[in-house]
Amino acid sequence: MDVWGFRNPVGLATLIKRELVRTYKVINQVVWPPVITTILYVLVFGLGLGSRVQNVQGVSYAAYLIPGLIMLQVIDQTYGESSSSVFQGRFMSSIQELLVSPLSAAEIVTGFILAAVLRALAIALLILAVGFVMVHTLPQNWFLYFGMTVLVSALFGGIGIIFGLLAEKFDHIAVFTTFVITPLVFVGGVFTSMQFLPPLVRRLSLFNPMFYMIDAFRYAFTGRSDVPLGLSVGIVAVLAALAVGTALRMTAVGYKLRV
Amino acid sequence: MNVSRNASVPALRVANLRKRYGSFTAVDGISLEVEQGDFFGFLGPNGAGKTTTINAIVGLATLTSGSIEIFGHDSVRDWREARRCVGLAPQEYNFDRYLSIRDVLIYQAGYYGLRGPAVRARADQLLERFGLTSKSKETFMRLSGGMKRRLSLARALIHEPRLLILDEPTAGVDVELRIELWALLRELNAAGTTIILTTHYLEEAEALCRNIAIIESGRIAAMESTAKLLARRGQTTLSVTVERPIGTLPPALAALGAHFEAGGRSLHFENVAPAHVARTLSELEAQGYSIENVDFHRSSLQDVFLDLVKR
Repeated sequence: MDVWGFRNPVGLATLIKRELVRTYKVINQVVWPPVITTILYVLVFGLGLGSRVQNVQGVSYAAYLIPGLIMLQVIDQTYGESSSSVFQGRFMSSIQELLVSPLSAAEIVTGFILAAVLRALAIALLILAVGFVMVHTLPQNWFLYFGMTVLVSALFGGIGIIFGLLAEKFDHIAVFTTFVITPLVFVGGVFTSMQFLPPLVRRLSLFNPMFYMIDAFRYAFTGRSDVPLGLSVGIVAVLAALAVGTALRMTAVGYKLRV
Repeated sequence: MNVSRNASVPALRVANLRKRYGSFTAVDGISLEVEQGDFFGFLGPNGAGKTTTINAIVGLATLTSGSIEIFGHDSVRDWREARRCVGLAPQEYNFDRYLSIRDVLIYQAGYYGLRGPAVRARADQLLERFGLTSKSKETFMRLSGGMKRRLSLARALIHEPRLLILDEPTAGVDVELRIELWALLRELNAAGTTIILTTHYLEEAEALCRNIAIIESGRIAAMESTAKLLARRGQTTLSVTVERPIGTLPPALAALGAHFEAGGRSLHFENVAPAHVARTLSELEAQGYSIENVDFHRSSLQDVFLDLVKR
């Protein structure tokens, strides 16, 4: 069975379009909240408290915050996109529309992940606009900016598919957000550079994958990082490959899809 | 690829299909063939394995063993072609809630690799034909039960499948709509679409299907033409009501196999061939009974079905 094949480009494009329609229909849950939250973070932490903080990595604290806040939302929203779409599809059986059609596992997984990437790029650009207007910051390295956004959203799009397949109820989807994503992102360098942390926490941070995502992404803005850029990009790429590979494997064997 | 256009290739061939869930065997080695252009009924009590078999055919269930070919395309090796040939209207509604019903049709066509003005025109045509045009911008949740059934059929047809599979297409549908759906299905079948139908309504199978398979506990209990199935298992009963009570049964009538309740006015003759009805009636008159009423009852598929699944 050529579960890996790409022979149905129209089917793949239709799936991506369907996911974007879904994003548009729930825009008040998935697009505006990240933008509003970011504005509030920048106002309260960046411009308020941050005015008392000295420059970090050569930029103002508010400008330092923006890349971390973009990553925070990209991670949250890409995981949310694919996990809820896959879970809802299973829960309401509408995913059967895909399963009876001539779409391969690779096409289905690619569809969900590309939709997650597109959602992430849109949200990242909106937050970037907020950053530009409020604190006049923009990426120096656009290639790295787009590359990291795509890589991180593919990673969490893949994890979202995995959890969308594993979950038995909506509550299970939230477990990963509440107990893994949110804590790891918050201690992963959104708000502070590693240099300001006590040595023990600094060493623990090296085991936090979110730290590498945020560190590499911030490099696109500040041109500086806490650990070498290549290491961060490499770790994120390996994790993304693992997540997408696992999601593909689960879809190919029909895990909780084809009974 | 040309294999599927060959008229001698069956629309569906299931060989030794087995489906196990842990220690439970839902489908236990069934084999069946459905010819191109057939209207095939797949009957059986709840839990007999009908939906499992259908899920295996359309790719919603994996096979434990055995094989399935659709117009000659193996459902595992040549799954893309096999799936293109099939349209499914499932038992439970599984529509996309984010899309209008018109988009449900257009997106479904898209998953099958079809797009463009021709697809949109076909979607509009199907909505019109199934009386759904006025609801085309609504999501399926705003449709009545009957409309959802029709939408399910329209979606199954959007990519012009050669094999249409309907799992309980008229469950929960009122009599009027059922008759309307029957007419539509007959029309599709006449136009060349092979149809497989599962149903709980045996009169539905009797009215529509040319061939029938009865599945019981995951095995095929009977598979024949509807007419043969009825003839083989079916009973005919001629019931005659006469004007005056019958005292003792005249030997001539007893010889014809009549039975009656003493003192009653009704006589019943089992398995009277239609050709012998006239002879039976004239014998009654010859015995001095004038006939008040005659009823000829042929046992329905329901009687045959109950008889088969009881054993």
